[in-house]
Amino acid sequence: MGCLTGQFWPQTIDGLTLGAIYALIALGYTLVYGVLRLINFAHSEIFMIGVFASLFSMHALGIELGDPAKTGLFLAGTILLVMIVSMVVSGTAAVALERIAYRPLRRRGAPRLAALITAIGASLFLQELFALRYSRDYFPFPRVLEKKVLFVFGGADIRADKVLVVASALVLMVILDRFVAKSRVGRGIRAVAQNPETAALMGVNLDRVVSLTFFLGGLLAGAGGTLFGIFFEQARYNIGFLPGIKAFTAAVLGGIGNIRGALLGGFTLGLLENYGSAVFGGQWKDVFAFAVLVLVLMFRPTGILGEQLGRTRA
Amino acid sequence: MRKRFSLVAVSLVLALVGAACQQTAEQPDVAEKKTTVKIAFVGAQTGPLNPLVIHAIRAAELAFDAANESGEVKGINIEYKVFDSQGSGDQATTLKDKFIPDEKFIGLIGPAFSGETRAILPSLQEAGLVMISPSATNTKLPSIVCGGEGGDCPAQTVFHRVVPDDDVQGKGVADYVTKVLKLTKLAYAHDNSDYGKAVAEGTRDLLKAAGVTEVVTVAIDPASQDYSAAVNQLKGAPGVFYGGYAPEAGRLAKQLTDGGFNGKYLSGDGSLDQAFVSGAGGAGAEGAFLTCACKLATADSPGELGQFAKDYKAKFKLDPGVYAGEGYDAARIFIEGLKKGHTTRKAMHDYVESLTTVPAGISKTIEFLPNGNQKPTEVFVHEIKGGKIVVLGTVEELTK
Repeated sequence: MGCLTGQFWPQTIDGLTLGAIYALIALGYTLVYGVLRLINFAHSEIFMIGVFASLFSMHALGIELGDPAKTGLFLAGTILLVMIVSMVVSGTAAVALERIAYRPLRRRGAPRLAALITAIGASLFLQELFALRYSRDYFPFPRVLEKKVLFVFGGADIRADKVLVVASALVLMVILDRFVAKSRVGRGIRAVAQNPETAALMGVNLDRVVSLTFFLGGLLAGAGGTLFGIFFEQARYNIGFLPGIKAFTAAVLGGIGNIRGALLGGFTLGLLENYGSAVFGGQWKDVFAFAVLVLVLMFRPTGILGEQLGRTRA
Repeated sequence: MRKRFSLVAVSLVLALVGAACQQTAEQPDVAEKKTTVKIAFVGAQTGPLNPLVIHAIRAAELAFDAANESGEVKGINIEYKVFDSQGSGDQATTLKDKFIPDEKFIGLIGPAFSGETRAILPSLQEAGLVMISPSATNTKLPSIVCGGEGGDCPAQTVFHRVVPDDDVQGKGVADYVTKVLKLTKLAYAHDNSDYGKAVAEGTRDLLKAAGVTEVVTVAIDPASQDYSAAVNQLKGAPGVFYGGYAPEAGRLAKQLTDGGFNGKYLSGDGSLDQAFVSGAGGAGAEGAFLTCACKLATADSPGELGQFAKDYKAKFKLDPGVYAGEGYDAARIFIEGLKKGHTTRKAMHDYVESLTTVPAGISKTIEFLPNGNQKPTEVFVHEIKGGKIVVLGTVEELTK
């Protein structure tokens, strides 16, 4: 049994950093659930594809292991470029996944359970595909961003890479939130989430909205992949599994189908895990986090915010 | 029509499955009149933990190939088969049903890890299949079958290992920490595995007895990437001992270094591989100390060990790594047994169980204690310098 005294701020900062990555992935689960009432278990592999895409695009830019870390504009440009490539790759992969694995089932009016099993199958398929193609080894990332301490706050080192992760995640989430709330396409998404039949009658193209939803989720997972790569500097075929499960949990904790809920859930889970490890030891961190999840769901069965995507205010 | 089509499809699939089964069925060896005996290896042939096992797998292959080629064992063809557990006890449990029922398997090299050994040792004992592990070091393994906590276990006869247990290593670490590094406080981390937890806690207890205070002991999840919570707890300590395997040891070392830790980082035999350095992203591993109650085989090692390193390189175009010599020794013990005419499972079991000293050990002088343990030997200390594993010497030499 440990204690939090003297470690509160360090654990908080690290929990928020981890939570930001969870939140980015959680948005993919939440968007798809909001529109299709489907838990897209293969979303963790869309994230994994984003991690690999980041690694390969770094290699394509000529950044290799052991190179000195980048600085200034070149650094910003590199990160932005790598992130955009990963976002597009993950987004495209998510759309392809929907076309191949889910749409045929939907067309035939298969029960939701069938789609869920397909999702688990697609997840395993993608993992093994990458394991066979790229082996089961870890792939180290070159260091792009110097892990420099910017300043110290309450005994916690505020490091450049942590700031990057939290800030980019927040910016992306605000953009998504505004996009879904304000844009025409966002209105389509909300309409389908509220009532697919009525939306279709009103002239919303269901397939297009679904594709777009998967694309948006993929974009954020891809960005999460880049941040994960820069922060943890490793890629592997099953690297998405654990963050995927955690992100799904975060989505449920915040209220699945709710965009702001995913954000809140991600940060909450990240913090709970780190506080749990500090107080009860690393082996208990998941037990602690899930115990809190169960408690929250007992009193608020629909999660902390509990709203549905369709009811997000414009 | 549709029904008929599905019938055809089903029978096609069945035919294919049947054909596939036939292909894997054994082909009788008509060309040679030799009797075939089989030796199994259970360990992580693939996966991230394979650097700790692959050298022993290859070294045994080297020994068996040489024996088959030279016709050293008259009238016997040794078939060596590797069962890839990827380091997991669950996988080993499934794999055991592939060799235990086959009486032609007269011996087992491995299981490479303690967790795997714990998982299948009772079945091995039941089948009377003798095992020689090159690298499973958990101190409690000799008494698993009796469910005991250390000490001798008369019911258990199949267990043998050619590496001393974690206590031997722990004593070496304790001496090095107190006499050379002169640390009075140390923090501990482990991966919660059968090996990692035991080696970290065992070392901690020995160090406590030697007067070194425990700062904290934390567990990390090997499947996770994020060790930030552990880093926050460990980084104030003047030194950290990690019990576990190379990939995670490296990841933790990296996150500690990035987190501002500047104490001594120590780990045991499970981390003694280049995968530790790559996991740590190079810089994070610099200056780390890795201990092992084993001697790394290099081309400039004296005597048979050096010759073995050269042969290994000639065959596999790679330098041998950790536990290569131990894998070779385990294979040689079986070859010696076969030369003496012990070609059945029972005979091989009785032969290995009767051994006390083994003349042919290249990794060390192999002496089995009654419980199957290797007699304690010297502990080597290695340091990461310039991204390479450098041997500093034995603890005995270094503490003089």
